[in-house]
Amino acid sequence: MNFDFSEAEKAFVQAVEQFLDQCDTPEVMDVTRENMAQLVDTPERRAFMSKCGERGWLGMGWPKEYGGNETEGVYEYLLNESLARRGAPQIGKGVGIVGKTLIRHGSDKLKREFLPKILRNEVQFAVGYTEPEAGSDAAAMALKATRDGDGWRLNGQKIFSTSAHFADWYWLGARTDPSNKHRGITLFLLHMDTPGLTVQPMPTIGDEITNSVYFDNVYVGDEYRVGELNKGFQYISEALDLERFTMFTFSPIEQRMEELCAYVVTEQCDGRPLREDLVIRQRIAQLVTQTEVARCLGLRFVAKASKGGAAPTTDSSQYKLYATELSKRIANAALDIGAPGTQLRVQTADAPMRGRPELTYRYTVIDTIGGGTSEVQKNIIARRKLGLPPNF
Amino acid sequence: MDLDFSQEQDMLRETVQRLCSESAPLAVVRKMEDDPSGFSEQLWRQMGELGLIGLTLPEEYGGAGQSSVEGAILYEELGRSLAPCPHFASAVMSGGALALAGSDAQKQMWLPQIASGAAVFTPAWLEPQRGFGPQGVQLSAVRDGEHLRLNGSKRHVACAAAATRLLVLARTGNGEHDVDLLLVDPKSPGVEITQQYALAADTQYKVAFKDVRVPLADRIGAAQSGWSTWNTLMHDGIILLAAQAIGGAQRALEMTVQYAKEREQFDKPLGAFQAIAHYLADASAAVDGGTTLVYEAAWTRALGRPVDRLAPMAKLFACQTFRDVTAMAQQVYGGMGFTIECDIQLYFRRAKQLQLSWWDTRYLEELVASAVLDAGQPPRLTEDGRKTFKTPPQPVRAVRSRTELAKDLAEHANQRGRCKTYAEMH
Ligand SMILES: Cc1cc2nc3c(=O)[nH]c(=O)nc-3n(C[C@H](O)[C@H](O)[C@H](O)COP(=O)(O)OP(=O)(O)OC[C@H]3O[C@@H](n4cnc5c(N)ncnc54)[C@H](O)[C@@H]3O)c2cc1C
Ligand SMILES: Cc1cc2nc3c(=O)[nH]c(=O)nc-3n(C[C@H](O)[C@H](O)[C@H](O)COP(=O)(O)OP(=O)(O)OC[C@H]3O[C@@H](n4cnc5c(N)ncnc54)[C@H](O)[C@@H]3O)c2cc1C
Repeated sequence: MNFDFSEAEKAFVQAVEQFLDQCDTPEVMDVTRENMAQLVDTPERRAFMSKCGERGWLGMGWPKEYGGNETEGVYEYLLNESLARRGAPQIGKGVGIVGKTLIRHGSDKLKREFLPKILRNEVQFAVGYTEPEAGSDAAAMALKATRDGDGWRLNGQKIFSTSAHFADWYWLGARTDPSNKHRGITLFLLHMDTPGLTVQPMPTIGDEITNSVYFDNVYVGDEYRVGELNKGFQYISEALDLERFTMFTFSPIEQRMEELCAYVVTEQCDGRPLREDLVIRQRIAQLVTQTEVARCLGLRFVAKASKGGAAPTTDSSQYKLYATELSKRIANAALDIGAPGTQLRVQTADAPMRGRPELTYRYTVIDTIGGGTSEVQKNIIARRKLGLPPNF
Repeated sequence: MDLDFSQEQDMLRETVQRLCSESAPLAVVRKMEDDPSGFSEQLWRQMGELGLIGLTLPEEYGGAGQSSVEGAILYEELGRSLAPCPHFASAVMSGGALALAGSDAQKQMWLPQIASGAAVFTPAWLEPQRGFGPQGVQLSAVRDGEHLRLNGSKRHVACAAAATRLLVLARTGNGEHDVDLLLVDPKSPGVEITQQYALAADTQYKVAFKDVRVPLADRIGAAQSGWSTWNTLMHDGIILLAAQAIGGAQRALEMTVQYAKEREQFDKPLGAFQAIAHYLADASAAVDGGTTLVYEAAWTRALGRPVDRLAPMAKLFACQTFRDVTAMAQQVYGGMGFTIECDIQLYFRRAKQLQLSWWDTRYLEELVASAVLDAGQPPRLTEDGRKTFKTPPQPVRAVRSRTELAKDLAEHANQRGRCKTYAEMH
C-alpha cells in the first residue's frame, strides 16, 4: 500500500508543471472555463496541444507500434489533472476515444491515416452519439446509413455534438440495421466539411457551445467505416468506459474547494470573520471531507487502471457519480457562503472569488448529465458491480 | 501509487476473518448483548493467543509492534462481524496510554498483561452533560499527601465490571488542559459501578467516585500531561474506529444487496426496482470511497506524517456512511428489518452508537474545520507533495451581458464558417 506517487511520477508532474508555467497565457489557460476547458478550440489552444504532442504526451499509453510509449495509465491521469488545474485544454477524445478504439478495431488504412495525426495534434474530433430521441438510451440512435455504391448515405440528426463547430472529423454512430437495436449500429469517421452537413450551435448556460447537426444525404466512403458492420454500439460502450476515465478530472473540484476555504479564511461579515461562523465551519468540514473521498474514489480506478487489464468500469462510474454530485454541492455552498455578492457574473470586479462560484453553479449542472447521467451511473453500479437484476 | 495490501496483510485479514466467523458469529453477538462482562471470553482468549490484542503495542512489552494499517485491517474485520470485545478500550486506548506516556515500571507491570488479554483496562472518560474536549473532564482529583482523592462520576464506561483497572481522566487544576490520567482499581473503596442499558446493547457502566484514593505512582506521565496524551491517542484511535465503521457498512451493504436479490414483490426481486437499486448504488460509492479514505489515514499515520486532518475526516465520513447505509438497509428490508429476528438491526443500532462515541460528528467537524481554516494561511487540502492552491492568473476577458455573450459564442462557433450566424439563429 502506498498513496504517494512514485519518484518517477512526481518527476513527470514537475516536468509538466514547468512546461505549463512557460505556456501560462490567458489565451491558453483559463480556470473559469471549468471543465469545458478541455476543448482544443482556438488557434492558441491548438498550438499548445501540439507542443504537448512534441513532448510525447499524446498517446502515451498506446502501444509502441502505433507511436505510443506504453506508459501506465497513471501518467495520462497526472497529465490531465495538471492541465485541468490550470484551465488548459486536456487530452481527450482523440487519444482516448478515437485513438484507443482505432487501435483495437480500426482498419490499417484508418490507423495509418489518423493515429499519427492524433499524436501530433493535427486533428480535432467531435463525437456524435446523442440524438433527440436517443440520450441516455444511446443504442436507440436512428441516424440512417444506407448503402450507396462504395459508401453510405447518412440522413437524420444528432444533438449535443460538442466541438462540431470547430472539429475536423466527426466520430459518429449510425443505424445500419433497423431490426436490431444494439447490433444494428455502425461507427463512422466523417469529415466535418462534407456537403450536406449543417451545424447549428446551441449556447449553453455554462457559457460554452454545443451543437445540433443535420445530415442531408451526406456521403461517407466505406473505407471510413470503423471496425465491423453493426458492431458500433459495442465499440461505443467500450469507448464510454475509456472516456469516463479521463473526462471528469478531480483537480477543478479540489481547486474550487480551496478557493472557497481561502475566502472563508480571509473574509468578514458584519465585522466578524466568516471562519468563526459555526454553520460555515460545519459545512466546510463536510465538503472538504467529501472532497477527499472523491479523490480517493479517483485513486481507486487510477490504481487499478495502472495495473492493466480491463477498464475499471464500475470504479469510474462510482467516481463520476460521487464527484459530480459533490461538485454541485460545493458550487451551491460557495454561493451560500459568499452571500448575495456571489450572484455577480464571473469576472465582475466586485464579485467574491472572482465570480467563479456563479459560473460553477451554472456550469456544474452538466456534470451529472454529460458522459452518462447520475441515474445511468447508478444503473451501471447496481448491475455490473452489485449484480442486481437488469430489469429496470 | 498502489492501493493493494501486502501478502502479510492479506494473511492477517484472513486470520481475523476466520477467528470472527468461528468465535464471534452473529449468534454470539446477540448472546453478548447487555451481558454484564460485555464480551465473549472465548473470543478474547483466542485473540490473545493469535497476538491480535497486542497487535499495535510495542514488541518489547509483548505486543506485535504493527502499524496502524494492520490495526485498520483488524478493525475493519471486527466491524464487519460486530465482534464483541474490549479491544479498543483495553489495548488501543489504555495500553496505548501506557505505551506512550507510562513509566518503565508501569509498562513492565501492565503491558504484557494487556497484550495477552489477561488484564482488561477501560477508560473512564465522559461525564454527564459534558463534551469530548478537555473541559468535559470535571471529575476532581485533589492532592492528599502521596495520593489523589477522586470525586465525580463517569458514564459510558465500557466493560467496567470486567476491568482490572480503569483509566480515569481527572481534573487537577483550573487550566483548560489540567487533566491527569490515573489508573484506578475498580474495587477501590468509594468506586461504585452501575450497568446502564443503551442503544447498541454494548455493556456500558456509570462509575461514581466518592473520595477514592489513588496513589500518585498510578498516574500515567507527568502531572497535567494527561490531556495531551489522550488527544494524541484519540487521533490514532479514531482511525481504527473509522475502519470498524466502514467494515460494518460494507457488511451491511452486502447483506442488503443479497436480500434485494432474493426477496420478490410484485413478481420481481426488490433490486429490480430502481428506487431500491439506486439507494444501493449510492451506498456502494460511499462505502468504497470511505474505505480508501480510512486506509489513506492509516497509511499516513503509519509513515509518521500528521493526521490531524485525515483522522477526523476518516471517522466523520466512515461513521456517517455506516449510519446512513444501515438506515437505508432497514428501509430495504421492509417490515422484516424492524424485527429483532433480522440481523440487519444489529448493524443499524451499532452504527449510531459508533457515530456518537469517541468524538461525535459535531466534535469531528470542528477538528476538520480547524485543520482547514485555522492555520492562518490558505489551506492545504493535501498532506504532502501535491501543489497547494496558487491564485490562478486573472482572466483578461471583459465582463459581458448575457446577449453579448451569446453573440460572442455564435461568432466563436462560426470561425470555421460552417455554422449559422447569430443573426440567422435569432
Ligand atoms: C453540453 C453538453 C455536451 C454534450 N456533449 C456530447 C457530445 O459531445 N457527444 C454526444 O454524443 N453527446 C453529448 N452530450 C449528450 C449527453 O451525453 C446526454 O445529454 C446525456 O447522455 C443524457 O441524455 P439526454 O440529455 O437525452 O437525457 P435523457 O436521457 O432524456 O434523460 C433525462 C432524465 O431521465 C433520466 N433517465 C433516462 N434514462 C433513465 C433510466 N434508464 N433510468 C433512470 N433514469 C433515466 C436521466 O438520468 C435524466 O435525469 C452532451 C450534452 C450536453 C448538454
Ligand atoms: C411491526 C409491524 C406491524 C405490522 N402490522 C401489520 C398489520 O397489522 N396488518 C398487516 O396486514 N400488515 C402489517 N404489517 C406488515 C406491513 O404492512 C408490511 O411490512 C409493509 O407493507 C411492507 O411489506 P414488507 O415488509 O413485506 O416489505 P417489502 O414489500 O418486501 O418491501 C421491501 C422494500 O422494497 C420496497 N418495494 C417493494 N415493492 C416495491 C415497488 N414496487 N417499487 C419500489 N420499491 C418497492 C419497499 O418500499 C421496501 O423498501 C406490519 C409490519 C410490521 C413490521
